[in-house]
Amino acid sequence: MIRRDVFQAIADPTRRQIINMIADKPLNVNAIADSFDVSRQAISLHIKILVECELLKINKQGRERYCEAKLDQLGEVSSWIDQYRQHWESKLDNLETYLYQLKKERKHGK
Amino acid sequence: MENNTKDRELLITRVLNAPIDLVWEVWTKPEHIAKWWGPNGFTNTITTMDMKPGGEWNLVMHGPDGTDYDNQSIFKEVVHHRKIVYQHVSAPSFTSTIEFDAQGEQTHLKWHMVFESHEEFIQVVKTFKADEGLKQNIEKLSKYLAEMGA
Repeated sequence: MIRRDVFQAIADPTRRQIINMIADKPLNVNAIADSFDVSRQAISLHIKILVECELLKINKQGRERYCEAKLDQLGEVSSWIDQYRQHWESKLDNLETYLYQLKKERKHGK
Repeated sequence: MENNTKDRELLITRVLNAPIDLVWEVWTKPEHIAKWWGPNGFTNTITTMDMKPGGEWNLVMHGPDGTDYDNQSIFKEVVHHRKIVYQHVSAPSFTSTIEFDAQGEQTHLKWHMVFESHEEFIQVVKTFKADEGLKQNIEKLSKYLAEMGA
């Protein structure tokens, strides 16, 4: 199997929409496919990728196949975003330090 | 393009302990920017900084390991003591809006970055994590530990 990760899962708008749809309650594959204009095959492929990325689990109930969201992994994405934010915050930390130095220098300079 | 930027933006705010003229000065003069821009351990060379709408801003960040990072931007809006908008044209592409609000001896700063698409934003976050995130966090941790020991 191709190695998949959570970023691949959310890289596609249709897959993000599927995750949103099933976030509250599981839905069967037909119900999901019916809400999109694209072919059932296309939706099946998206679902397959979501399963491989471990964001979606399929539960069989009789002949129905229900898709349930597994959202734990999305935490990984938000923690990476937090780290990226920290990168920009650290710019402002540097700015603060620099402003402090500059104020001190100018005070003494005068 | 969608108007909703929720899934492809970063918003950072900070109250700086300096009056607006000083904050504006360190944001708009290349010799100052060079002193504080970029992650810890980086130095900067600013070749162009033409602060007017359509003006170019070219900055090279020099990493601690000798790698150079080119940053090319175009200023979109410059309102004295109020606002700077620039578009980062080298990858990753994003638009950055910095708003200044003078509050006596302090200045309230609002920094809003919007990426072209969610895909690009996630790609940036992912690349960043792989390249720099860990290194920086280790640096921060050691700095923090040093401070605690002091």
